[in-house]
Amino acid sequence: MLFVLKRIGVSVLLVWVVATIVFLAIRMVPGDPAAILLSQGGVAPDPAAVAALRVQLGLNQPLGLQYVEDMRRLLVGNLGQSLQDQTPVAGEILRRLPRTLELIGAAAVLAVLVGLPAGLVAAMRRGGTFDRIASWLAAAALAVPVFVVGTLMVAIFAQGLHWAPAGGYVSFARHPLRHLVLLAMPAATIAVGLAAILFRMTRAAVLDVSMRDYIRTARAKGVAPRRILARHVLRNALMPIVTVLALNLGSLLGGTVLVEYVFNWPGLSGLLVDAVNARDYPEVQGVVLVISVLFVALNLVVDLLYALLDPRVRHG
Amino acid sequence: MQRLRPGPVAAVGAIALLALLVPLFGLDNPLHMDIAHRLARPTLAHPLGQDAYGRDVLSRLLWGARVSLAVASSSSLLACLFGTALGLAGGFLRGPVEFVALRGMDVVLCFPPLLLALLVVTLLGPGAATLIPVLAVLYLPGFVRVVYAGVLSVRNQDYVEAMRSLGAGRLRIMLGTILPNVGGPVLVQLSLAAASAVVLESGLSFLGLGVVPPAPSWGLMIGEARATMLQAPLLLLWPCLALSVTILALNALCDALRDAVDPHGITRGRRRAALLERLAPGLLPQPGPALELVGLTIAIDTPAGPIHPVRDVSLRVMPHETLALVGESGSGKSLTGLATMGLLPPVARVAGGAAWIDGRDVLRLDEAALRRLRGATVAMIFQDPLSSLNPVQRIATQIGEAIEAHGASGARAAWRRAVELLRHVGIPDPERRAHNFPHEMSGGMRQRAMIAMAIANQPRLLIADEPTTALDVTIQAQVLDLLATLRRESGMALVFITHSLPVVAEIADRVAVMYAGEIVEQGRVAEVFARPLHPYTAALLASVPREDASLPEPIPGTVPPPYALPPGCAFAPRCRLARADCASGTLPLTEVMAERLTRCRRWSELA
Repeated sequence: MLFVLKRIGVSVLLVWVVATIVFLAIRMVPGDPAAILLSQGGVAPDPAAVAALRVQLGLNQPLGLQYVEDMRRLLVGNLGQSLQDQTPVAGEILRRLPRTLELIGAAAVLAVLVGLPAGLVAAMRRGGTFDRIASWLAAAALAVPVFVVGTLMVAIFAQGLHWAPAGGYVSFARHPLRHLVLLAMPAATIAVGLAAILFRMTRAAVLDVSMRDYIRTARAKGVAPRRILARHVLRNALMPIVTVLALNLGSLLGGTVLVEYVFNWPGLSGLLVDAVNARDYPEVQGVVLVISVLFVALNLVVDLLYALLDPRVRHG
Repeated sequence: MQRLRPGPVAAVGAIALLALLVPLFGLDNPLHMDIAHRLARPTLAHPLGQDAYGRDVLSRLLWGARVSLAVASSSSLLACLFGTALGLAGGFLRGPVEFVALRGMDVVLCFPPLLLALLVVTLLGPGAATLIPVLAVLYLPGFVRVVYAGVLSVRNQDYVEAMRSLGAGRLRIMLGTILPNVGGPVLVQLSLAAASAVVLESGLSFLGLGVVPPAPSWGLMIGEARATMLQAPLLLLWPCLALSVTILALNALCDALRDAVDPHGITRGRRRAALLERLAPGLLPQPGPALELVGLTIAIDTPAGPIHPVRDVSLRVMPHETLALVGESGSGKSLTGLATMGLLPPVARVAGGAAWIDGRDVLRLDEAALRRLRGATVAMIFQDPLSSLNPVQRIATQIGEAIEAHGASGARAAWRRAVELLRHVGIPDPERRAHNFPHEMSGGMRQRAMIAMAIANQPRLLIADEPTTALDVTIQAQVLDLLATLRRESGMALVFITHSLPVVAEIADRVAVMYAGEIVEQGRVAEVFARPLHPYTAALLASVPREDASLPEPIPGTVPPPYALPPGCAFAPRCRLARADCASGTLPLTEVMAERLTRCRRWSELA
């Protein structure tokens, strides 16, 4: 229990540090942040607009006061207003977040379904034909950046074969089938790289655990190979696999940017890219904050999951 | 450091060289537009055609390599430089510097990488000048951690202490002793960072947030080609291909570096040859012994040919008897035990001989028959009970598994029997202890649990491989007592593998002394200890601290490794009785007195 409380405490601390850094980032830029945000292509912005933005962002107040005010707002879930249309940032994020999470979830399921069994089989038949082909494929999959996979998928399946639309989004409630069709390609795109990582990790973890002393003990007891695999190898190999999966899901939180852009999927990352392009700092700040908090939370979940899987951690 | 595979190095080198030499190729200006020939097909002047603005694709592709690699290499080098400095400072100066270096990196890791880059791009605007420092910050933690860990591991080593006592300055120690030690891992980090930087740079440029148009960059080219995907699909293909091949080469370089640096790297085992080369020796053993080894030879295939860490080992253990297999580490005693169980590690194989148990040669049994034998007729306990027990299973589950593997009993009955066994091996409060995980027990208790697991099916033969080495002296004595008691009660035969002569004296009836893979002497313990018939046994006995306070005499020299065995008698180079003829010919293990065997020509000179 103490372990859980400690981990939660560390996570809260990290979230606070992240919020502080995001707060400081805009204020540490040399020059007037408001002027920088409004400048487009080297043209000096209108001084009146700059002054208005300074007031809106609270930049005209002393730094300490700004900070306290900022943290107070964050605590109640107020992420400020978008510079583009003055709507609350939090509302827009809340609307788009589930779509990104759905994308990541679908990709993770696909990747686990492919990567895990493939890694297991490759490790069991190490050096065999399947192992060699799958290892080669994984290396190839890891070499192709996700936006290249996506772009090529659009070129082949949408433009070439006309199997699926090139991208877009329809809510599940309105059109369940079409929703899933549109989900398939972006999810598969993310899953390619993730499955390759999972394949490698599973293969390495299973090989590593197979060489442990306790596997020798199990064999010395005369336990059947199938049972050794299920009860001893898999259970122990699962820990590094879960870690790798979770860490990668975490970086996907930010990494779906490219996929959402390619497939026109209106998730959180699309919002971010638009905001970056429009230099809408409150919106960027909000998205970065939300994703970072999710990232920290995910790491927390992994640590707690670890404790569940490995009785040694609970007492550590 | 092992040898580095040359392929990936050559590939990355070739790509880098190509990028460096681009200005010498006399290509078209990659920025020169020619709207009249937009999307033109390949011609002699433009081998890969022209893009949507009529720019030469080949030229843009090659100049793009320069941009990608320049961003990647400068950002990863920057990260390497600062990260190494920070890691060194943190590890060596400790205190607040250490705290800032480590915790600061934790904070950087809080942000998903692409996100941090986007945050900075919002503030500073896109462009290579923004990209390089951002990427450098992203890859900083990897370097800091690797270097910090390296410093920690060498900081307290003797030679660093020695240098400090000699008056060497801190900076000199850092640069002179620690940097070479962490060089390998840092190089691995560098390749990882460079590969990742190429991916991130292209991704950001693809979004239009990295390298600013019209500069050529692969990410930008892919982004632009998307618009004309239908008319000119090849425009999309070339940069995709260039990018992927570059990343593939960098990834391969990472793997190769890692394999070369990591001493635990997987040794590429060749396919095992048939289990047995030689035919059975043919002689069936007389009925009776619980175990009879006849000429057991074990081989390990190395690139330089097979080596034989165990050669021609023959011994016999009767029921009710305890045989000690004694020798220094590397003498082959553990491999002998594992071969008897059919549990040799994958690199080793039986190259000859037989191991008779119950009238069957276990070296020639298939895996299914071996499985039925293991844990039932023959059982084994290992040196380190902590690593030998599954960390995530309760202790009674693990014992019960041995019972279930050889009987029809269900899980519940097996659990009850496991509790009984725990009580039998002297674990107090076995009902409660049965629920424990291995890490919740003491070392002595874990070894008792291992023993309970081994005797679960009343084996005829128990092989104990240094079962008390990891335990302290009082616990050691208790475990020895337990084994002696169990053997007396059940009549099983016990093979006790150890390097400790006092333990041999305490537990064994007979002893077989192993040296460099061979048995050099065999006989009853009392007789062998009173009058050794092999100079090695004599030297071993003289090296044990004695009660009469006379100084123990260490044996000069070391055990020869199996790949560098001397000709003739393996002990000759360290033997005080050695003469010229000891260094030639092979010596059999000979019975020179009743039940006394030795592998020495000069046994009679030992007085």
